[in-house]
Amino acid sequence: MTRALLLLRKDVRLLVRSRLLLAGLVVYPLVVALLVGVVVRYAGERPTVAFVDEDDLPRVLAVGGQRFRIERILEDVADRIELVRLSRREAEARLATGAVSAVIIVPAGFASRIRGMVESPRLLVETGGGGVAARIDERVQALVYNLNLRLQKAYIRANLHYIDLLRHGGTGTFIGNEFDVVGLERAASLLGEIRTRTHDPVAREDAAALEQFVREAELALAQSGDSIRAVANPIRLATHEDVGRTWLISARVQAYALALTLAFLCVLIAAGAIAAERDENVLGRLLSGVRSRLRVWELVAAKAALAALVGLVLGLVLALGFGAWVELAGVAGGEPWVRLPVLVLGLVLAAGAFGAFGILLGVLARESRTAALAGFLAVFPLVLLGLVPSAAVPVAGWVSEAFPFVHAVRLFESALFDPHPWSSLGRELAWLAALGGVFGAASGIGVRRLLT
Amino acid sequence: MTEPLLSARGVTRRYGRRVALAEADLELFRGDVIALVGPNGAGKSTLLGVLAGALVPSSGSVETVDPPPRIGWVPQRPALYGRLSARENLELFARLDGIADPGAAATGLLRRVELAAADVPAAELSVGNQQRLNVAIALLGGPDVLLLDEPTAALDPAHRRRVWDVASTVSGQGGAVVFASQHLDEVHALATRVVTLHDGRVSFAGTRAEFERVAEADVFA
Repeated sequence: MTRALLLLRKDVRLLVRSRLLLAGLVVYPLVVALLVGVVVRYAGERPTVAFVDEDDLPRVLAVGGQRFRIERILEDVADRIELVRLSRREAEARLATGAVSAVIIVPAGFASRIRGMVESPRLLVETGGGGVAARIDERVQALVYNLNLRLQKAYIRANLHYIDLLRHGGTGTFIGNEFDVVGLERAASLLGEIRTRTHDPVAREDAAALEQFVREAELALAQSGDSIRAVANPIRLATHEDVGRTWLISARVQAYALALTLAFLCVLIAAGAIAAERDENVLGRLLSGVRSRLRVWELVAAKAALAALVGLVLGLVLALGFGAWVELAGVAGGEPWVRLPVLVLGLVLAAGAFGAFGILLGVLARESRTAALAGFLAVFPLVLLGLVPSAAVPVAGWVSEAFPFVHAVRLFESALFDPHPWSSLGRELAWLAALGGVFGAASGIGVRRLLT
Repeated sequence: MTEPLLSARGVTRRYGRRVALAEADLELFRGDVIALVGPNGAGKSTLLGVLAGALVPSSGSVETVDPPPRIGWVPQRPALYGRLSARENLELFARLDGIADPGAAATGLLRRVELAAADVPAAELSVGNQQRLNVAIALLGGPDVLLLDEPTAALDPAHRRRVWDVASTVSGQGGAVVFASQHLDEVHALATRVVTLHDGRVSFAGTRAEFERVAEADVFA
């Protein structure tokens, strides 16, 4: 093992002497992590949805005495969906080619059904296939929810107006027809007058009973406003902003940034380091002879240790930077400093597993420039696969499981923010150790190829 | 007869379909200085690589005495870390060899191969100086067997003599030397035995006196 440490010390010395290369290796993944974070945050944020108006909606729609500006409503939802007005034919053609993610159709008779307030009008939604359909569905549901909320308020206001008419009397309209209502208050006073004017004891008794009923009905209707509102909104959502973290310092972005940085850095360093031994022509000196200076496993261990060491240092710098940012910004919850030892363990294992994968790439590539290229070519798709939700594309999930990236992400998320992390930590640490072992063993078998 | 320090028996080395070395036999005894002679691509470097243990034979075997001899290998292309200085290279390999005082070993070898620019990165040394460092690394720990693959190709006459003095010292102290060379004057001056190779096959193996009867034209044909 001492010999592996000697080789590790040599590699660290060479790395420190290549400051430009080291700076590039550190800065590049950080920039990529930031870009991926932005892409993850905003990808599909405003899907384009076609809006087909088959009812020729008016600019202003009056419902229950409330006026709705259609364009204004469409603008209000534009921060979540980009609505494009199209004909139905054009919309469906674009949906077929994927140019729009969904089509919302306002069928003929929609406005009159809303105005009538007797049956619910229907919006038709057609979505494309694939993983984005669920997201579109969610956005359209949100749009319909918002519309319903506005209409609900209008309907409640209209209903309360009818109740007012019933209580106090007056003139109202329903489905375009005007009518006069006596109202309960007036009815009660009329019954009182009848009761006092009549001398028929039976009629007086009946009038008294009716007057009693009318007054009770009036009292009951006076309470109905709150009841209607309560029935319409059994649960009301109270939202307080600026309590949690912004997405930029969220647990997920922190975990992705760490994993992505380690993936690039450790794979490239390990691949380059093993291939450089061949470039320098020293592998024969290290491994050959009946009294070899180094065993193959020591060589592989030294390179994996180099990746682990560099990954640990950079990962800690990143984690401490995030933590300082969170503390200075006074973000709710703060940074979980007590989890730092767990994070250190995770960083070492994840970096080592990435390193072992890098060694395998370096062995297969045989020389350092090809190894660097192979590292880039391999890491990019594997990281992207890890970013694809496995629920959307199951194959991506299965493939990603065979590489350290997703396990590193889960491990860092769990280590930093999971209230009960131990089972998931144990599982992901085991995954990383196993993957590191498999890649390391495969590298050991392949190292002999470098001697030829 | 004493036991050979190193013996190759029926060694074959293939690269895919190409046979670089075919069923080569070689026995190396104490005091031997064996010259490997042949045109480019004849299999000299492959045979030295197999003897050094850097190449695994496709068939055949390499056996050693017990305890195995310490082997110093000087590959044709210098095997050293370009971004480490000559001293750092020597100290690193000395530590890997378990030498008690790597600094002293490095200083001694730098003096022995007359390499003055000890503290500049090896990549910045001239080709000749890199080759001297290449030889110096092979001499770490006092090898019993020295395998030299055209070690003097980039050296000036004075340093060529120096390398051969070192090789003679190894064989004179009970070790053995195998060297590949294109220079027949070196073969005639230094070798006790000569092995010629053609297309991966041993075409001649004998004493220097026997070799001197073979025409040079036949060797490089």
